[in-house]
Amino acid sequence: MDYTKQIQEIASRLFAENKIDFFIGYKQNLFDTNQVPLLLTNANDIGQLVFNNKSNYNLTTYLKFEHTRNKRVGLVVKGCDSRALNLLLTEHQAKRENLYIVGICCEGIVDENGNKQQNCTECVMPNAMVYDELLGEKQPEKKYTPNADVKAWHDKSLTERGEYFENVFENCIRCNACRHSCPLCYCSKCCIDQETSTLYNGANTLPNATHALLTWSLHLAGRCVDCRNCERACPSHLPLHLLHKQNEMVIYENFQNHLSGMEKDEPGAFYKYNLKDPDDFIM
Amino acid sequence: MSDTITEKIVSAENPSLEAPSDWQPVIIGILCNWCSYAGSDLTGTSRLQYPPNIRIIRVPCSSRVDPWFIIKSLQTSADGVLISGCHPGDCHYIAGNYYARRRFLVTKELLKFVGYHENRVQFSWVSAAEGPKFAKVVDKVTEDIKKLGPLHKYRKEDLL
Repeated sequence: MDYTKQIQEIASRLFAENKIDFFIGYKQNLFDTNQVPLLLTNANDIGQLVFNNKSNYNLTTYLKFEHTRNKRVGLVVKGCDSRALNLLLTEHQAKRENLYIVGICCEGIVDENGNKQQNCTECVMPNAMVYDELLGEKQPEKKYTPNADVKAWHDKSLTERGEYFENVFENCIRCNACRHSCPLCYCSKCCIDQETSTLYNGANTLPNATHALLTWSLHLAGRCVDCRNCERACPSHLPLHLLHKQNEMVIYENFQNHLSGMEKDEPGAFYKYNLKDPDDFIM
Repeated sequence: MSDTITEKIVSAENPSLEAPSDWQPVIIGILCNWCSYAGSDLTGTSRLQYPPNIRIIRVPCSSRVDPWFIIKSLQTSADGVLISGCHPGDCHYIAGNYYARRRFLVTKELLKFVGYHENRVQFSWVSAAEGPKFAKVVDKVTEDIKKLGPLHKYRKEDLL
């Protein structure tokens, strides 16, 4: 899976035709282990653009920042990124006419050790759904399976789970990198940033970290697309996917097999309802 | 409902923690203005008894309850949370409780996943005419939480 040449051609063509202000793609980092996002404003540095099976970052994150909002942007999206893009378009955070999208039929991304990423082994949508140009051959779509880690933790006792997650949240340093790297956390003023809030303050304590992470995962429940930008950005290497995949599993099982961003104009699970939703847990 | 605690009470989440002999749980009740709050009012005016462990907060609708109200309550002082709203179809804002219902299920499951006992957070539908039901609900929740013991999960009280 190497589309470096095609993407460079497309980018230079778009700049020559003056169709875009920015092009967002990937660039190799210094140590050849990983790739970093690259934002181009002209055709000079097009030679740095790459795309191969190490292009892990979800670039739709860059649509939420001020300098790319309401600008014409060229963008490389994989299958999971296009789910995020679908949601951003539904929630009016991006305009489709401003975007030129290079869709990728993704064969799976590998991590630094050369193993396939866990979310790619469980991927339900490898092909980009929103695109102006599609690269590669369409990959078969898989059925949704609950995350193996989440299943394993469900088999353990309450005390064990509590101790494990207390340890996880204690290691959080409250840097908010997870929030900044998430494509769907686009609020200009986050609820956990309110200076006057009596509910929350920014101190780096266990209660605050627990509060922030659980609230954050619940605000993303029914919207998270499992791109794992948050986990890659986390300096403490917290297993944040456990929270998201747990929510995703509950939502899939209870709310008519809802998976976020799989269809055009479909809102997140908490923005709609069904009269037959389960309520046997309510007295 | 038994008023005296005869057996030792240990925390369900942390078995090494034991409750003092005079321990009483603190329960936060978040009630919707239009049904459950009026229902609790009716309980009072009908002179029905219910345990004094519950502290009631009034919100405009059950869908006003953001998950973080629950998380914050459990972290600061409460041993349990009761959230109550209108019956499905009776919402003053037409569909607020349908949205809330979805959120509650996911919140409950997530809290269970990270190590809270499932009875710590409970939900009920109580209409404005159901005074006796509200008393029963509070009875049940208080009894459940008395069995679970004090909550010390994800807390460091000296730092708060």
